[in-house]
Amino acid sequence: MKNSWIIAVRELRERIGSRSFVIMAFVGPLLVLSLTYLLFAFGGKEQQNWNVLISDARGIMENKIMAGEDKSLQYSFISDYIEIEDFAQNPSYQKYDALVEVNEKVLTNKISFVFYREKPSLKTSINIRYHVERRLEELVAAKFTDLSVSDFRKIKQPLLMSFKNVYDPKDESSDLGGWVGLFFGAVIFVFIFLFGMTILRSVSREKSNRIVEILLATVHPRSLMLGKIIGVGMSAFIQFLLWFILISLGLYFMRETLFVDIYDASNVADGGSSQAYNQFVELVFERIQFSSMISYFLVFFALGYLFYGAFFAALGAVTGSESDGQQFLLPLIALLLFAMYSGFFVLNNPESSLSTFYHYFPFTSPVVVMVKLAMGYPEGDGYQLIISILILIMSALAVLAIAGKLYKNGLLQYGHTVRLKQIIQWLKIK
Amino acid sequence: MLEIQQITKRFQRKAALDEVSLSLKAGEVFGLLGPNGAGKTTLIRIINRILEADAGTIRFKGDLLQQKHLAHIGYLPEERGLYKNMTVEAHAYFLGALRGMSKTDVKQAVNYWLDRFDIQSWRKKRIEELSKGMAQKVQFICAVLHEPELLILDEPFSGFDPVNVELIKQEIIEMKAKGKTILISTHNMQSVEEICDRVALIHQSKKIMEGRVSELQDAAKNGEYAVKFRGTMIGFVNALWTGFELIDKEILGDDRFIARVKMRGDNQFEDLLQVLLGQVKIEAAWEVLPSMQELFINAVSGDKNVVPIQTNY
Repeated sequence: MKNSWIIAVRELRERIGSRSFVIMAFVGPLLVLSLTYLLFAFGGKEQQNWNVLISDARGIMENKIMAGEDKSLQYSFISDYIEIEDFAQNPSYQKYDALVEVNEKVLTNKISFVFYREKPSLKTSINIRYHVERRLEELVAAKFTDLSVSDFRKIKQPLLMSFKNVYDPKDESSDLGGWVGLFFGAVIFVFIFLFGMTILRSVSREKSNRIVEILLATVHPRSLMLGKIIGVGMSAFIQFLLWFILISLGLYFMRETLFVDIYDASNVADGGSSQAYNQFVELVFERIQFSSMISYFLVFFALGYLFYGAFFAALGAVTGSESDGQQFLLPLIALLLFAMYSGFFVLNNPESSLSTFYHYFPFTSPVVVMVKLAMGYPEGDGYQLIISILILIMSALAVLAIAGKLYKNGLLQYGHTVRLKQIIQWLKIK
Repeated sequence: MLEIQQITKRFQRKAALDEVSLSLKAGEVFGLLGPNGAGKTTLIRIINRILEADAGTIRFKGDLLQQKHLAHIGYLPEERGLYKNMTVEAHAYFLGALRGMSKTDVKQAVNYWLDRFDIQSWRKKRIEELSKGMAQKVQFICAVLHEPELLILDEPFSGFDPVNVELIKQEIIEMKAKGKTILISTHNMQSVEEICDRVALIHQSKKIMEGRVSELQDAAKNGEYAVKFRGTMIGFVNALWTGFELIDKEILGDDRFIARVKMRGDNQFEDLLQVLLGQVKIEAAWEVLPSMQELFINAVSGDKNVVPIQTNY
């Protein structure tokens, strides 16, 4: 284990010292920030006015909502239950673009539904969610606690608001929190791919410059592989931290300069996009349950990386030269893309049995669990998360064992073209 | 020091080593000879625990060879390689740590070796800035940094210029003087004669010869003598008469030759000198021993009738 650590530290030093690492640490966040800026600076010009009807049979919200200065959203209240079909067909409701259902349980189970006629833009969805949630927070804080609203917001749970098409309510449309989860899942997979490729290159480079023979004379192949995966993983983690810090700083900076809040008189003209932006930032940093999201993110980041990293390491070990092995890289990339797709699928079909499968399947679970976490596990279903983690741990260990074997048998073979038959033979060697 | 017993290794169906046994004594330089593909590198990799033997055992100082013993073994593989973008010093710290050295030990050792090879200025240089020969020197240093009790050198002279070959030879002799055991696999037969105490020849995965260099040469000699003289070739042949047979001659100048002679009957070296005295002016006379190169070629080709030629490298 000590030798694995020495290998890992060397790998980490080499990665962090490399130019590509530094470039990636700045280009990545810059890209994310530019996209965010474009989304709000130019995507937020939607001028449609939304008439939103809030069905609040018990009068929980007391006909009040904090719409602020936002004129694009007009809220009306009705103290009655409205059937979805009624809302869809009845002429008297046609002037409303969306129906928000606030039933008596909302204060405890934090679930609310929005039925729309036309899919709202990201900005409008954020706004509706934000307005309703703020009002509910006030009520909960006043009703159940002695805390001030601002203190309460620090400890509150997010509202799970799902948006559904009123004409097709069975279609479980994506919910906003889920998108944030998918984003986290995507981050995991981008990092797995980038740093998996780093492992692959690093292993095949050690093979081609022949230093591997000296290493093997002191280190067991399995320790060597583990050290390499851990070393590259640590550099991936540091890269991630840099992204996190830079993106957070960037979002904050943009809030302070480019999207100054609407209440600032000098910026009233551009109020729409500023407000949407600020609410988005709040969504990212406050509305998502960050403490659990981040800790599970790190768990799945680490496990998913170990799982896929072992594949990349084994592939690097069996290739005959640095340019060899492309044909085996393709299925790996396809698997990664499939994992991304599965996250998207779960976002849209959270209850389907295929989604359950993706949730446990080790190739897809890192993304899917992030999506599910952001959407919120139904009460009492937290055990599913633990099962998924256990499956991923066991799969990672199994893949590491198989990869270790290929590593041991393939590492000293040079100059060949890797073939599946050969790989199977190496797997059979004791 | 190192007991290799009945090692067998197969790659798929092909045998790479077939019940090979060797025994290295502490403080000797042992030469592992054999043509390409004979199984030398496989054996060396098994000693370094890079490969596992299918059968047989290896004992290091009496104990079964284990991972912990690798800290006492130094290894310079035939395929040299270092990280191109790492400095000389960083390599030493990295490989030293893997061999279980502390930072202070590595620092001392690096200073010693850089001074010894007079290359202190390379310390902070990256490997990609060095020439191939320079990098090989660095690799040699990395192999001996931890003062191994057993040093395994696979083709240590390949790729070095003659000056560096001499330097490495001197280092090997020096290490032997310090009581280290050294196992060399090489094709360079001249160096085998110069520095190896004992050798083993592996051919087609089997050991076909083992012994002291001088004993092997003695055993393979066929009663040939060489005489370097001044005079005429006719005078020389006349003097030989029927007691001796002239095999070959080399003309050094107008009246200087080296003649190679075999005894007939019970004639001895002294008798040869006696018949020549007064006929030619003898400058030197010696018994012709087969070179390791000849022994090697004879053994490998299986042709015992190849006439040994004294080659001067």
